[in-house]
Amino acid sequence: MNDTNSLDELIACLHCDTLATSPSLAAGETALCPCCGNKLFSRKKDSINRTMAISLAGLMLLFPAITLPIIGVGVAGKYNDASLVDCIMLMINDDFYIIAFSVFLFTIAIPSVKIFSAFYLSYKIKRKQISSSLLIFYRSYHLFDSWAMIHVFFLGIIVSIYKLISLDELTVGSGLISLLLLLLCSTLISITIDQKLIWDTLESEFAPKS
Amino acid sequence: MSAEKQSCSRCNYIFSQRKSNSVQYTLAWTIAAIIMFIPANIYPMMVFYTLGRPESSTILEGIASFIQQGLYPIAFIIFIASFVIPLGKIIGLLILLYNTKSHSRISKQKQTKMYYLIASLGPWSMLDVFVVSVMAAAVNFGFFTSIEAGSGITYFTLMVIFTIFAAESFDPRLLWDIERRNINER
Repeated sequence: MNDTNSLDELIACLHCDTLATSPSLAAGETALCPCCGNKLFSRKKDSINRTMAISLAGLMLLFPAITLPIIGVGVAGKYNDASLVDCIMLMINDDFYIIAFSVFLFTIAIPSVKIFSAFYLSYKIKRKQISSSLLIFYRSYHLFDSWAMIHVFFLGIIVSIYKLISLDELTVGSGLISLLLLLLCSTLISITIDQKLIWDTLESEFAPKS
Repeated sequence: MSAEKQSCSRCNYIFSQRKSNSVQYTLAWTIAAIIMFIPANIYPMMVFYTLGRPESSTILEGIASFIQQGLYPIAFIIFIASFVIPLGKIIGLLILLYNTKSHSRISKQKQTKMYYLIASLGPWSMLDVFVVSVMAAAVNFGFFTSIEAGSGITYFTLMVIFTIFAAESFDPRLLWDIERRNINER
């Protein structure tokens, strides 16, 4: 256990805990676990720049996606449109606090934190200003992995449009387009972000004292 | 393994060899989800008011009305997302919990894949909640026509959240531990 060099070369599989020697990869290659075939890690092309660009776009889209009307409905001369904020406010008015809270958390709060974390991390790493706050941001990025639900919300809107299509008048607003682009950005971030690269960079800065 | 707490050299988080009390937590969350599954399917998800006359529908009634209207793809999506996936997750987690204690014929690779499938499908169950909240916000004309959420939706949301917690607290490495134990005994 004293030989730290050989320990650094080892990598444990997340699925089955098998230890494998970590290969050095060229950009665009992926390493697989020899025991269960799970992906160990992959080295991505131009990861930091791409992540920064996409997450900046995502941050700019957040506000329009939340506040602009998504769908509008007209019935017998009356017209009503709804944005993401309207959905949450209506649920609060109807005393469905758990629903309002979970919609807020899963479609606004957690996606915002994830996109901001991705932007902040890539910006700081690009500027080589590595501080210990990055650890907290990156850990939160992993923690919230299964709680960001913009994609589910978007499918929900599509289903709602299908349900309401029989009504007199149905319009889609610019909020829908913003939301679609936001969804695209958050998906692209998870494709471009290079987890091992970020951890390696952070670790080289905060190397263990031993 | 020493009982002393060590922290990770990468992220400063405290190490544990396996997620602590994984089986107990997973079982507890799964049971909570099963309890919530019952009111979620009995109480209405959505109440549709036309000229002040309420017409409520539960999850399965909503799916049945879609089939009557001929909207088969939507009926299929809602059926998968709000009925098959939650039920499948609960049953799948129970099977996996059982397999950490005893040997099964399903290969470990398949069980691990099954776990990651269960974990990744989690968020999709929230679909119906989002549909109801979007429709309630859009169709809101007071007495004339309006859609309101029913009481079942709260139980449904809690059930989905509980199943996600259950999946998160399960440690798939426990599935492999039993394999290693068998190899050591031989």
